[in-house]
This record gives sequence, C-alpha cells and structure tokens, in this order.
Amino acid sequence: MNKTITAASLALALGAAMTVAATPAAAQNKMSDKEHCYGVALKGKNDCKAGAGTTCAGTSMRDHQGNAWSMVPKGTCEKTLSSTSPTGHGQLKEFKEKKA
Amino acid sequence: MITSLSPFVGAAVVRRLPVRAGIGLKPEHFREILAAAPDVGFFEIHAENYMVDGGPFHHYLSRIRERYPLSIHGVGLSIGGESPLNDDHLDRLATLLDRYQPESFSEHLAWAGHGEVFLNDLLPVPYHAATLARVCSHIDRVQDRLRRRMLLENPATYVEFSASTMAETEFIAEIVRRTGCGLLLDVNNVYVSCVNHGRNPYDYIRALPLDPVAEIHLAGFAREVDAAGDPLLIDSHGAPVAQAVWDLYRYALEALGPVPTLIERDNDIPALSVLLDEAHQAERMLHGIDRHSREARA
Amino acid sequence: MTDQQDFAEALLAAESTFPPGLSTWNGSDPGRRFAVYRNNVIVSLIDALADTYPVTQELVGAEFFRAMAFQFIQKNPPRSPLLAFYGEDLAAFIETFPPAASVPYLADIARLEMLQVQAYHAADAAPLDAGEISQLLANEPELPRVSFTLHPSLGILRSRHAVVSLWAAHQTDDVTAALAEIAPNTAEAALVLRAGLDVEISRIPVGSAAFIAHLQQGLAFAAAAQQASAADPEFNLAAALCLLIQGDAITSVSLSTTP
Repeated sequence: MNKTITAASLALALGAAMTVAATPAAAQNKMSDKEHCYGVALKGKNDCKAGAGTTCAGTSMRDHQGNAWSMVPKGTCEKTLSSTSPTGHGQLKEFKEKKA
Repeated sequence: MITSLSPFVGAAVVRRLPVRAGIGLKPEHFREILAAAPDVGFFEIHAENYMVDGGPFHHYLSRIRERYPLSIHGVGLSIGGESPLNDDHLDRLATLLDRYQPESFSEHLAWAGHGEVFLNDLLPVPYHAATLARVCSHIDRVQDRLRRRMLLENPATYVEFSASTMAETEFIAEIVRRTGCGLLLDVNNVYVSCVNHGRNPYDYIRALPLDPVAEIHLAGFAREVDAAGDPLLIDSHGAPVAQAVWDLYRYALEALGPVPTLIERDNDIPALSVLLDEAHQAERMLHGIDRHSREARA
Repeated sequence: MTDQQDFAEALLAAESTFPPGLSTWNGSDPGRRFAVYRNNVIVSLIDALADTYPVTQELVGAEFFRAMAFQFIQKNPPRSPLLAFYGEDLAAFIETFPPAASVPYLADIARLEMLQVQAYHAADAAPLDAGEISQLLANEPELPRVSFTLHPSLGILRSRHAVVSLWAAHQTDDVTAALAEIAPNTAEAALVLRAGLDVEISRIPVGSAAFIAHLQQGLAFAAAAQQASAADPEFNLAAALCLLIQGDAITSVSLSTTP
C-alpha cells in the first residue's frame, strides 16, 4: 500500500521540484496543482469606536437583540449546488430547539 | 525608594511631537501616505493594533515612521482597572515603544477589562480616594516599566457614580501631582462629558492643570438624547469636528499656547485628503495662536 | 462582587440592564446612558468578528451572523487586549451551535478565515534560496532525516467540504454564479501563506496538505512523505515540494535526530 520512501526517491522529487520552481509561473501552477486567490487587506481592530456601527442607546440595541435560535441562515449558503438540488443536503430549515 | 523620586532615570532623551497637527494612521491610507508623502505634522497609532509579529502593519508603519514623527496611543492597558495591570501587555507595549521610539506615548483615564475579560471600551471610573490611589500606582508602574513619562487622556463619559467625591478635573490634577505624568487633553471628550453631565466645558478647562498638557485630541461626536430628553453626546470618532469643539479648542489654545493636535477618526474613515484638510484647519488655529503669543511676547 | 465586576457583567448580559451606583446629573434613567457602553462593547466586538470572518458572514447573512456573534461573545468574551485574533474559537462554537447546522461547512470557512488573519500578522522570515536548498542534494544519504522549518505565516486546512472553492467564489464579482458550480461536500485542502504583503489562499491536493502539515509539526522529510502517501494514494511529493519552494515557504533546514 505505502510506497517505500528512499533517500533516492526524496532526492529525485526534490530535484524535480527545484526544476519546476525555476520555470515560468503559469507552468508552475499546473505542475503543482494549485489554484490562486488573494486575500484583502485587514484593518486595525483596536479602535476608539465609541458608538460603533450605530449611534447608540435605544436605536442600536436592535443590532444584537436578534435571537439566533429562531433564525435561519439567509445568505449565499442558499446558492450552492446542493442547496438548489431537490436531493441535496444543503436544504435550509429553521432550527427548532428541542425541549428537554 | 529612589525610583519613585526619579522614575525616568536612565530614560533615553525623548524627542517631542512637533507643534503641528497630526492624524490617526489608518491601514486604508498606508499606500497613499507613502506614495504622496502628505505634509502633516505627525501620525498616531493605537498600540494594540501593532502588537502583532510581522506582516503589512509593521512593513508600512516602519516606512511611515522613518518619514514622520509618531505618537503611540494605547487603548488596552486599563489604567483605571480594579484588576492589576497586565504585565504581558506592558511588556508588549515596551517592545513596541523600543522598536518605534515614538515622540509621545499616551493612555486613558479609564478601564477596559476586568479579570481575564477584555471589554474593548473605555469605561468610567468613580472619582474618590481609593480609585485615585489605584490609578496613580498603575501610572507609576507604567512609567517605571516604559522608562518614560506618559500622557493621560481625560475620558468621555455617559454616566457618573454616586460614590464619587471629587470632580474629574480635581482627580486628574491630583494624578498629575502624584505621578508626574503629562496630560493629553481631549477637547472633544471635555465637550461631550460636560454636555452629558450638565457642566460648563470652559470651566472644566480652566480647572485643569494646563502646564502638563503635551497633546490635544479633536474628534467628532454623535448626538442622542437621554431618558429625560436632555442631550447625550456620544464620542463616536465618526464625524468631522463640531463647531462647538473648534470653539473650545481655540479657547484651550489661548490658555495653553500651541500644542501638538491630533484629528481622530476611527469610524467611517474618509479619504486621506478629508482628514488632512481637518488637520490643516487645526494647524491654522495653532499657528494663529503661535503668532499671537509671539506678538504678545515681543 | 466588586464595582467593576458588576459593571462588566451588565455590559455582557443578554438583557439590557445596568449596575448599581450610577448617577445622572438630571436624575434621568441611568439605564439609558449605560446602554451606550453596552452598545459600544457588544457592537465593537461583533464588528471585530465580522471583519475577521467576512465570508462566514456572507454565507449566513449579516442578521444571522450578528445574532450568532452576540451569543459567541457572551460565552467567549475577549481574553486579550489584542483584538486582531479575537474569535479564534468561533469555528468550534459554530460546530456546537445548532441553528448553524444547516450549513455544515461554515465552521471550516471560519477556520480558513482565521488562518488568513494569522498569516497576515505572522512574523516575517527570509526564505532559503534555491542554492541552499540544492545543497541538500549533495548529501543524499542524510535526506530522509532533514527537517524543514516553514514560514510562520503558513497554515494548512484539511476539510471534508469544498472550503477553498466556497471561499474563492466569494472573492468573485458574481458570487451566485460561482457558487452554483460548487458541490459543497467535496473534500478540499487549503494552503494559506503570505507572499510579500498579500495572504494567498490556494487549493492544494489532500496529500500535499498532509505532507506540509506533518513537516510543520516537525516530522522529518521521509516520515512526512510516508504519512502523506498513506493519506493520499495520489500523493505527488515533487508537486508538494514545488508548492513550498515556489511559495518561499522553507526558511531553514536541519538534520533531525529522530527519523
């Protein structure tokens, strides 16, 4: 089942990798079976954001008064292949908390 | 012992911020600042954002710091906390200050965590003898560990405590007397707190010891009302500086003389040019006062 | 109870409340004013999580995410003044949060986003150059015992779900179209690595992911390759090494004492 790893096979692979790494980028991605994506820049999170997000008091409490236990995820998760297929298991249902 | 008499023995000669206006350094503006090299007096960072090992934040900060004076402003030390100061955090702060050698270091008269929990807000302290002793011992510890004088910022508050026995200005004056710390006068906080507690902001500034003030903060607030329908101002850092705060700033400058001044904006960060315009507005007032006081001396 | 403990507990309480001992100049209800602090704390922490987990939030929608985040914050408030890494345990929380069970890949998406933040702020380290790596070939008999130190930003995630494809779909202009192509229950592995100032997230073969994860845990070259072959019959050692070399991910090599 397992291939025996010998010093020679390690050397062979390392030599091959060095050769590929020295070739142009387009070829590299194909050889290494890799797909690229780039992340976005991050912001600093320690800020003096008093009144963050909203002004304050009464109005803003709505922001975090929602009860997640009575909520259904309503986002892009509804758009995947399994969510749209009738047999898929991504079908969204409201979660019902079981009473003990 | 001797350290309490001269807590900064062995401290390096610390350069001061230029008597100009500065702005908060935001990652959104890193590249533009390096590319355009705007004319601004200094940049201020929040210490905690740069307590990371490496990567873009240090890459950009080290390049920007080579070109501009720097103020480091802490938001997480919890100087007003009942809990002991977090030694790990103080060590991280010392490392950051060693690395960037800022012209100024400041923190808040507030607490930000309790026990193991960090609450990420600048929370109010009752003003009485016990809290005074605690705050002073924390400031002594900070100044000893960092081997430099720190500036303490007056808070924006929304409630007061029935246990308080001293006015805020009295409390701050006593801290300065006992610890030798400097002050960061946040003019917006003065305005916000005074409106929120039915006081006169001009009286507040008159009651404060002004000699130790080494930096001023200006920012915008949001307007709400309390349960009685009276105004409740929120220190939102999300709006331009209000006219009432500019007026109070001018009054403070007349009493203080010119002091390095920061435009703070942490919410709804606008284009760099908008912040620079506000800094230039502050600088015109600074220079006006400067000229005025030079003429007075001549 | 100390004053600040009362205050802190009221800040994070599920229902709006306020601690004793507050006063107001005009005799107005202190609860209304205390709510400003509650709002600052809770909203700023929810916002910090939303900044770290943008795709997690998009998958379930802002309303659900923020309500879930509020429950998370009450259970797991920050333990450090450094908010950059706040919410490292959100993925574990999601796995135990029944309302999120209909999105089984949500926790791994959160893990991927946290790896991205960690990679962004990880220490800088200079890679070995090609010449130094080539020198390993000069001492072939020792090769099996070579240990590789990998870049501090490097992270590996092996998932039973199509985490990289799902994440990448959210980086495109037409998220809906991109998602329509994805079968979420396909196992994928991610390589997270900072290249210069950008964090790069790549989908890599499962065997390569096993190999790199084992190297990162300190296994020697031969042992890591052996484990990867066992994990994935298709494992291609040269391709895995190529990922590391071209990603400037090898920062030092040494001879390990144990095989």
